[in-house]
Amino acid sequence: MDLVPHIVNGLSLGLLFALIALGFMLIVGVMEVINLAHGSLFALGAYVAMVIINPAFADFGGIYAAYVGLPLPMRYVLAIVVAPALVAVVGMGLEVCMRRTYGKDPLYGLLLTFGAALVLEETIRLIWGPTEQVLTVPQGISGAFLFGGLIYSKYRFFAAAFALLAILLVWLFLERTPYGAVIKAGAHDSEMVRALGINLTRLRLLVFALGTALAALAGIIMTPIWGLRPHVGVDAVVPAFLIIVLGGVGSFWGAVIAGVLVGLAVGLTGSFASQWSLLSMYLLLIAVVTFRARGLFGKKSVLEL
Amino acid sequence: MTPTTDGGRLITGPMLILFAALVTLPFWVQSVGLYQYLGVEVAIWMIYALGFNLLLGYGGLPSFGHGAFLGVGAYAFGLAQFHVLENLWVGLLAAILVGIVAGGIVGLFLAHRRGIYFALLTVAFGQVFWFVSLKWFSVTGGEDGLLGIPRPSADFGLVEFDLSSNLSLYYFTLAVLMIVVVALWRLVHSPFGKVVRAIKQNETRASFLGYNVRLYKWAVFTLSATTAALAGGLFAMAQQSAFPDVMNLVSSGTIVMMVLIGGGFVSFWGPVIGVTVFFVARDVIGSITETWLLWFGLMFMLSVLFKPEGVAGLWQDSSGESPA
Amino acid sequence: MALFEAQHLHKRFGDQVVLEEINLSFEAGQLSGIMGPNGAGKTTCFNLLTGLYKPDRGQITFGTENITGLPPHTIAQKGIARSFQIINLFDEYSVLENVVIALPRVRDHGFTCHRALTNDSETADRAANVLAQVGLAGREHENAADLSYGDRRALEIALAIAAEPRLLFLDEPTSGVGTEGTARLTELIESLKERYTIVIIEHDMRFLFEVADRISVIHWGQVIAEGTPDELRTNKWVQASNLGKLV
Repeated sequence: MDLVPHIVNGLSLGLLFALIALGFMLIVGVMEVINLAHGSLFALGAYVAMVIINPAFADFGGIYAAYVGLPLPMRYVLAIVVAPALVAVVGMGLEVCMRRTYGKDPLYGLLLTFGAALVLEETIRLIWGPTEQVLTVPQGISGAFLFGGLIYSKYRFFAAAFALLAILLVWLFLERTPYGAVIKAGAHDSEMVRALGINLTRLRLLVFALGTALAALAGIIMTPIWGLRPHVGVDAVVPAFLIIVLGGVGSFWGAVIAGVLVGLAVGLTGSFASQWSLLSMYLLLIAVVTFRARGLFGKKSVLEL
Repeated sequence: MTPTTDGGRLITGPMLILFAALVTLPFWVQSVGLYQYLGVEVAIWMIYALGFNLLLGYGGLPSFGHGAFLGVGAYAFGLAQFHVLENLWVGLLAAILVGIVAGGIVGLFLAHRRGIYFALLTVAFGQVFWFVSLKWFSVTGGEDGLLGIPRPSADFGLVEFDLSSNLSLYYFTLAVLMIVVVALWRLVHSPFGKVVRAIKQNETRASFLGYNVRLYKWAVFTLSATTAALAGGLFAMAQQSAFPDVMNLVSSGTIVMMVLIGGGFVSFWGPVIGVTVFFVARDVIGSITETWLLWFGLMFMLSVLFKPEGVAGLWQDSSGESPA
Repeated sequence: MALFEAQHLHKRFGDQVVLEEINLSFEAGQLSGIMGPNGAGKTTCFNLLTGLYKPDRGQITFGTENITGLPPHTIAQKGIARSFQIINLFDEYSVLENVVIALPRVRDHGFTCHRALTNDSETADRAANVLAQVGLAGREHENAADLSYGDRRALEIALAIAAEPRLLFLDEPTSGVGTEGTARLTELIESLKERYTIVIIEHDMRFLFEVADRISVIHWGQVIAEGTPDELRTNKWVQASNLGKLV
């Protein structure tokens, strides 16, 4: 029965992976842009949240003191709302830059976002330094608890539950809103979007904002587990696109299922050879892409549920 | 083919200019505020970049995992010194052979892919190599790397050159670079090079003209990986060590950036220009601010947005010359 | 015996049957036509014959060889060349480079790395000869991308004949060229007819009836009629379908 903690661990990791991949998936699905800056935006979100939770500024007087005096859970919730919004603004800036590459070889989008990833990571290094930092979480969700004679981390459960909630909210957005319907219908087909009377420029901006906000959110949730350093973005972007390729470009449930599968694979290999647990992820990807180019659920249309 | 007949020549004007600049480099490099060892690095990275551009510029195959082959070559050189024989040729041969094997195997998985899927698979393979080199402690030394790799002397039978000084090592590396430049210039103007460029432009048409597209893509991938491994072997010798970090995603992306900024899409010389720009940026901007990589990244973004043809493209625009 | 024969070809995509029991044969020295309305399965049929898709059932023979299911490059090496409805050129290359790449003598040395492709007069002569045939002589050094649409159509055919084929497939050669362009192509194809065995897919009936020796009509995924242009004009199936009105 010692597999149980590894399965639980893998499942929770899988949900988190799915959360990381969601924003990436939206952008790929709608715009056919591989956003390699996804990981850096993930990191940026976590750093911004860290500042909101524990502002390390010099004492600016009363307002600052009053803010720091607020209970930690309140500042944490504020960070979860505000940091993704701020990162979304950065994402929208990136989208504006991207406009020059639309209609060209998709390679240019890939290259541009790679450059953006580097620039963001270096900016983080410049502002917050290269050393590892800590994103403080409220006491209620930190620590551990015992269940069935085994120790589980409370935060992991919170994180997994949060990821599940975020996944459901995105699903509701896709299912229940007019924009969601367009995204689902395959908004990469710009003629069709215009025919539906939707402003394509605004749609792309919205999708980028949403996608990068989700990246930031994933960063805030994930980095208390992974640790917060400028380079953490690479740890996020690689699983993100692995999951998208695995699940099939443009498939919502494909991404979620692939995320959980990858999480389980990493979790279970962790039980046999913890050193090599991440390797299983890459090998899984190579295997799937070799035998099924479109991934598990990828079909011809770009976004199929 | 093109009105200029340079493609048929063994040695061309620009080659002579490059070689002249590099041969005299040790005499002027310190007077412009730089240092000897820089020349070694530049020459090695030029070999790497020229080989990489065979894939990116000529084959249209964007690899974001090419650092893996540089790294594999470096480890092969080091391990051959430790476990086979402390000899320069054995080390370089080991790097080349391992490059052929690693590139050939990875190439099997990639040869029928193109564009984004190709790029993503190269990331995955690059990460596998990086991860293995990081974790396979008993062979690679893990994060600490392989240390104390010797620099054996270059034994040509009749004469033997000691490579322990950076100056002699530089001239040795430069000689290898010259061979690589001449060979690749030949290659890109040969039938093989022309077919590879044709496949980049239109894979379907090429296959209906009777070209086995997969085989050509596999061959060009393997060749490019082998060149990277050769550069890796030289790099291990220069640094007298081998580390996993040349294999990570950022390092692999750096070579893409260099080649693109230089103008690899439109010119044979793009990679050479790109490597020069990169190292000058690193050492000149780097001496002013530690955030030089930030500025280099911004430069790269601007290049992608406004001038994907890079420096070579700018130069061609101003001189009105057709792409080489 | 026919030069090229397809027997009992079936092809389906998913649950949709596109072609059913297709039998075609093309005689050496003739110009055969395949016609049918849009969506009748003409292009799918062409793609089966040239190796882009594998048939689900059936057999294709070329000369005495069974070429069913072989990849396109192998079929091309055996002497079958094709052009494309949507122009498919090497756009970064000059007109001359496009044709040179298509020559079998270049293809057979495709893995040669040590000598340049430039210094070879035989190659240049052959390329010039092909360009003269399609009316692009003297345009060698223009970029393929810069040519007019009609000239690109001509270059599209030039690539196919540069391959020195025993059998030449042309996929809607008049697509998008207009009346004047069609006249130029009619002339070109009349001249090629003397040198090559040709199969043309076309939905321009007038054009096809003018140049073809024999025509097969594909409709609803089947060959519904086959014969000389004169025979087809009186065929009841052709009359019954919309095609009759055009002829």
